[in-house]
Amino acid sequence: MSALRRCLRSPRVVAGALLVLAVALAAVLAPWIAPHDPQEQDLLNTLLPPAWAAGGEAAYPLGTDQLGRCILSRLLFGARIALYVAVLAATGAMLLGTTLALLAGTLGGRTDMLVCRAIDVWMAFPPVILALILLVGLGAGVHKVILAIIVVDWTRFCRIIRSEVLVVVRRDYVPAARLLGFGRMRVLWREVLPAVLPLVITVMALEMGIAVVVEAIMSFVGLSVEPDVPAWGVMIADARQSMFLMPWGVVFPVLGIFVAVLGFNLLGDGLRRALDNRLVLSREVVRAPGA
Amino acid sequence: MPPVLEADGLAVSLRAGRRRFDVLRDISFSLAAGEVLGLVGESGAGKSMLGRVVAGNLPEGFAVSAGTLRFDGQDLARLGAAARRALLGDRIAFIPQEPLTALNPLRTVAQHFAEHLARLGVPKQEREARMLAALADMRLPDPREIARRYPFQLSGGQCQRVLIALAFVSNPALVVADEPTTALDVSTQARIVELIRGMQATHRTALLFITHDLRLAGHVCDRIMVLHAGDAVEHGPAAAVLGAPRHPYARSLRAALPPLDGPRLRLAALPDQMPGIGAFGSLPGCRFAPRCPVRDPACAAAPPALAEVAPRHFVRAAGACLAGPDVAAGCAPLADPPPAAGAPLLSLRGLAKTYPGRRPLFGAPTPGVAAVLPLDLDLHPGEFVGVVGESGSGKSTLARLVMGLETPSAGRILLDGRDVTGDLRARLGTAQMVFQDPQSALNPRRSVLSLVTQALESPLFRGAAPDRAARARELLRETGLPEEVLTRYPPQLSGGQKQRVNIARALCVTPRLLVADEIVSGLDVSVQAQILNLLLDLRARSGIALLFISHDLAVVRTLCDRVLVMHRGAVVEQGATAEVFGAPRHPYTRALLAAVPPEDAARAWPPPAA
Repeated sequence: MSALRRCLRSPRVVAGALLVLAVALAAVLAPWIAPHDPQEQDLLNTLLPPAWAAGGEAAYPLGTDQLGRCILSRLLFGARIALYVAVLAATGAMLLGTTLALLAGTLGGRTDMLVCRAIDVWMAFPPVILALILLVGLGAGVHKVILAIIVVDWTRFCRIIRSEVLVVVRRDYVPAARLLGFGRMRVLWREVLPAVLPLVITVMALEMGIAVVVEAIMSFVGLSVEPDVPAWGVMIADARQSMFLMPWGVVFPVLGIFVAVLGFNLLGDGLRRALDNRLVLSREVVRAPGA
Repeated sequence: MPPVLEADGLAVSLRAGRRRFDVLRDISFSLAAGEVLGLVGESGAGKSMLGRVVAGNLPEGFAVSAGTLRFDGQDLARLGAAARRALLGDRIAFIPQEPLTALNPLRTVAQHFAEHLARLGVPKQEREARMLAALADMRLPDPREIARRYPFQLSGGQCQRVLIALAFVSNPALVVADEPTTALDVSTQARIVELIRGMQATHRTALLFITHDLRLAGHVCDRIMVLHAGDAVEHGPAAAVLGAPRHPYARSLRAALPPLDGPRLRLAALPDQMPGIGAFGSLPGCRFAPRCPVRDPACAAAPPALAEVAPRHFVRAAGACLAGPDVAAGCAPLADPPPAAGAPLLSLRGLAKTYPGRRPLFGAPTPGVAAVLPLDLDLHPGEFVGVVGESGSGKSTLARLVMGLETPSAGRILLDGRDVTGDLRARLGTAQMVFQDPQSALNPRRSVLSLVTQALESPLFRGAAPDRAARARELLRETGLPEEVLTRYPPQLSGGQKQRVNIARALCVTPRLLVADEIVSGLDVSVQAQILNLLLDLRARSGIALLFISHDLAVVRTLCDRVLVMHRGAVVEQGATAEVFGAPRHPYTRALLAAVPPEDAARAWPPPAA
């Protein structure tokens, strides 16, 4: 059975992919589907509840914040920042971590030792503190947040992928390829990388979820986007003061984060199960186990 | 005397959706106290299923669908969990296949015994004495010291002795031993088998001995049941089943065994291999019929009845099968190769490998390990040279040194007169390697077409064959594979097909020397015979030379003209196969040969310990 068909049969993958797709559509189509400009203030209609609650207005389906800005519009535009950071940060961390993992796993010896010790030292720093220090040093900004996530989280990829590379390079098809005259880099590219790719994809999906949360935290403390850019963390921070008066302002961005992270996690976990050869083989019953 | 274990028409089935596959059909036997019944078959024959029925440990989806398996009057197939637990480990004990993984690495041997003896209700003050007595029965040198150790501090043979001691400590009525020596070296196997038999005889235990090795069963068991695809095809006294099997499958299994004495023969190989569970649905009759040399259309329709050909010797075969021409008739004697002449193809001069010790940042440095001590070897074109030895003898390291996958610490490797010692690529057009385990040696993400012609992608051999698909078809023909496997992937192939693809890949660049590391050790005997014949055919066709690494002396004897015996990194004996096997000089070679169960069931085996 092909990998794609296995993925489509997995309820986790389908559910995760649908959630992620929904967030992605919201982000891409935000300028067209948002009812208002996300920065437009309507000071006559501040702190409106959602349209279905008592006192709600049909013009503001999810209500307004304390400056009278449309929560739905801000939510849709906020998805853009969340996904932007998720995709770029996860890709960057993946590229850095996987490259080092492949080199460490195949070259072994001194290279492996150096990479592993670097990971050890890196992981000894509390990640949030490390990110904060970086952002204080680099200054605030969404690209700095992306850079901070890459710099902090490459270790996650590197550790997991390296151990898988170690397993793969011990399979005989790797020396067999060497004996057919292929150079080390070619073997790495054609034989080792495809074998670890399912794991890379899986970790990447999980990392995107993490990046969404980290970005939200950073914009919450004001280290990410400019204050005039709608982001979920900024929305939570803004709604905090009026939280007891109008809890919806906090609920909706939190829901946005929840849906995005749940989608990425389901996708990652489902992909892990669908793409992992060992699990797949053990579930194909007809080869009798131990018969 | 009532039997200890009695199967009557037992059937085990797998339910997959609405379909049902019988993985064991109509199995009947009775096993008395003090008797040993051998269940012999190739992988997939269903022999382990029976052990699993006893343990109540059938894999998911499998269930007993007919018949009974009575132990002491109770039907094990329908026993409740609590009643079964009370029996297992006490009246029924097991000896597992993988001794190293069967013990919990977090507990010492003494803790394993303490737990087991406590469950058996042995008072605390008696436990240690019972344990030491049980370990002493295993002829372990220092029982107290062994008891203090953790499983990973013991060798495989020691672990297996501990497990045997644990199995017999409750003085069980029945012991199920599932391939208890498969993971061990031959000389350890002989000792372990001797221990199991000794314990079984003194305790008058009924022993169910599951193995793939017909010769071993012939010497260990009183009676043997040969299983094929879930059918008991033959069931009778061990000496008769090993010495003169009657069923066509049992006969071909016997003929596929490489002999250790007598003339060297080309082995009789059956076509294909045993049908898998998926094929059972289309085989309502005798499941051996598609491969049977004497098949009868009637057999394919319904399974033949069990016929008693001699007292208590049953064969599931129609008269035609019993009388038909023998499969072994096609075994031609192997011609002795012409004496090696001319320049050697491969020369090893003082080749040695020492793994350096580690100098860790903390702690004491460890000393180096000499894996291969300096050795010389000349291998001529068309010559088959075998390297035998037990695990850890350095034989695999030798193969990797020859191919340049390891760097020698001393010595030179000359290929065709050229020094290729430090140059991996320089040897690749002339020498190629076939790896041991095709499961691991074939990238599961490549199709057979891309695997067998993988070499043509490399800069060294690009352009060697302009048409990849045509070359792939040639290679499939050469290795006896059907053309339709071209588009398949390794997981879709059988074990024998995978090994052929593995060989075809090495042949792609038309090497003159193949280095083969244990390439038949994971295969069933009937498939092993096919692969050995394939190698012999390759030599007849293209005069290829072979460096064949194996732990199996009988295989090496059949295939190779010359043999090197390695022991702890050193070549202790070498010479023409006939001489080394006929009149071994070194005591280690003699011990190795004596450890192999002989074909003649009348000869006493295992030999008394030296």
